[in-house]
Amino acid sequence: MKSVIARFALANAISLGAVLLASANAADVTVGAAFPMSGDNAEYGQIFSSGANLAVEHINADKKLSGKLNIVYEDSQATPAQGVIAANKLVNVSKVPFMLSAFTGVSKAVAPIGQRTKTVIVNGGGVGPDLATLGEYFWNTIPLANFEVRVIAPYLVKEKGLKRVALIYVDDPLGQSILKELGTELPKVGGELVGSFSIPTTAQQFSGVAARVRDVKPDVVYFATYGNQEVQLIKQLRDNGISQPLASYSAVDIPSVQALPEAKGVYYTSQQIDWNKQDPTTKRMMTDYQAKYGKKPTTYVVNYYNSVLLFGELAAALEKAGKPITGENLLAQRKATPSFEFAGSTVSFEADGTVKAPIQIMEVAGDGMGKLLVPGK
Amino acid sequence: MLLVQLIFNGLQTGALYALIAAGFSLIFGMTRVFHAAHGATFTIAGYAFYEVYSVAHLGWPAAALTAIAAAALFGVLLDRWVYAVIQRHEGSFFTVFAASFGVAIVVQNVIAMAFGRGLVTITTPLSKSIELTSGLFVAPMTAIVLLTALICFGLLQYLLTKTNLGIGLRALGENPVLIEVYGLTQRKLSQYAFLIGSILVVPAAILTAATTGLNPSMAHHVMLISLAATIVGGVGSLRGAALAGMLLGMAENLCLAIIDPQWSEAVTFVILFLFILFRPGGVYGRAVTT
Repeated sequence: MKSVIARFALANAISLGAVLLASANAADVTVGAAFPMSGDNAEYGQIFSSGANLAVEHINADKKLSGKLNIVYEDSQATPAQGVIAANKLVNVSKVPFMLSAFTGVSKAVAPIGQRTKTVIVNGGGVGPDLATLGEYFWNTIPLANFEVRVIAPYLVKEKGLKRVALIYVDDPLGQSILKELGTELPKVGGELVGSFSIPTTAQQFSGVAARVRDVKPDVVYFATYGNQEVQLIKQLRDNGISQPLASYSAVDIPSVQALPEAKGVYYTSQQIDWNKQDPTTKRMMTDYQAKYGKKPTTYVVNYYNSVLLFGELAAALEKAGKPITGENLLAQRKATPSFEFAGSTVSFEADGTVKAPIQIMEVAGDGMGKLLVPGK
Repeated sequence: MLLVQLIFNGLQTGALYALIAAGFSLIFGMTRVFHAAHGATFTIAGYAFYEVYSVAHLGWPAAALTAIAAAALFGVLLDRWVYAVIQRHEGSFFTVFAASFGVAIVVQNVIAMAFGRGLVTITTPLSKSIELTSGLFVAPMTAIVLLTALICFGLLQYLLTKTNLGIGLRALGENPVLIEVYGLTQRKLSQYAFLIGSILVVPAAILTAATTGLNPSMAHHVMLISLAATIVGGVGSLRGAALAGMLLGMAENLCLAIIDPQWSEAVTFVILFLFILFRPGGVYGRAVTT
């Protein structure tokens, strides 16, 4: 009798385990993100993850997937070395088929991991033009900096008459690419790069750089850096006698720059988002984000919201077709989908995994959102 | 004119570096505790000032007093509740260092949670440069930084050479066992070293908030400067820390006349490396035989 009871208990335990295992498999769809969660660029990590988290909430609320979608964050500290550690952990330990990345240097460092392990990596924040050439498992949901420079260079030279441009750029792949683009684009529109000054990513004192910049007598100063460093740079340029207009790229679109009194009047480019798009996805994103965070979303928020939404769309299509959610299948599904209805835009991917979006010219107005100067075309 | 401008910039940066390094040098020199959380004291003082001055708008005297209280409390409590406990259990130099480093990380994260991860700045007309002559821009803040450094180092020199407490602190740095013979206690003097060292960082934190801004992760940079200035100046020598801070700040700026800004920070480490190679005891360091 004891043996029968023991067998019955064992059979029950095994079947219960099998059920639990099956339900766990169905429940756990996990994606990853390697964002800077500490250090000088942690503000970006906070912004990026707010968009990604909201998309996860929406996908789960809609029961888009058979199980629950989870997102695991690893701290890249916005440095390539930490980014690689974070990506390796996500791919090898958390076994994610899809992960988010940010920053040009980090993205370039982690892309080979995605290519080798067939894991899709989506960037919605880094804008170095090289990011278009990192293989078919690396996708970008943000237009790259070469498009931004091609829009602002003619504006500064032809519209504003600011022909002599001085560039301050951070010595990393992003800064190098902006230097290259400005060097190519300015002569085409009648402008001139009168000085270029590279700064290390860790620099915090810029009074000496301001003296060097003043020395070349520019009409406008273009800066290509990001995070806390760009806030320090703007303040110290203004404090140290640089009264010329300042210009930059989409990294300016963060709260600490938008709120800085010294940043008022800075020209910058960013991708154009149709905030008034009358579709349920955009309306829901706008409403829920403002309700949750008490402020309007920025373009970075929308990009990472859309990046996770992209995973949701592709994974749901794969589940419907009875295919497993792997990087390989996600790539095939993306190639088979002509366009995606996302928050603020309808997106189509180019063959190189990038998206093209209109680039607008903005000015820091001190209201936290920026003033539109020239709409994107 | 570029060179004159860079000299003025170097003076301001150097005086700030000297102020930053003084507290760490004092604590390390007197207690031999590698106070890696010195950068955290700096951050706490800066944010306390920012909160009272820029957010609560209670005026700079109240803000400065709050910053002093916050820094002093943090330094003294850290010594009493963390370092003293480890030392009582005969924890090694590295155990204390690891604990200090851990506290610095905790402080960084707590500040990030409380104030956000972005940069905050104190807006003041004193940091805006005025064109003195064609091409020479100097801010009133430069004079304030230099004056503050002179006053702080003057007071400190008086304290260490003319008062019983100062003599006791120097004795603690020289021979901690022998001071017990004279009826002094290591623990009590150590508390004073942390109190004074922590308060010393406050002027630098306030001036940095007004000139370059504050962010939760700036403690690492503060520690780098403190360490470099302490080694170059000579461990335990406040004169050395002041001179080394000034030397590093001047070098960082003057090198811009001939090299690209990208390499200006590397100059600090080249100087440090040269001192380690050719004068390991620092400018005012003494040869030690064992």
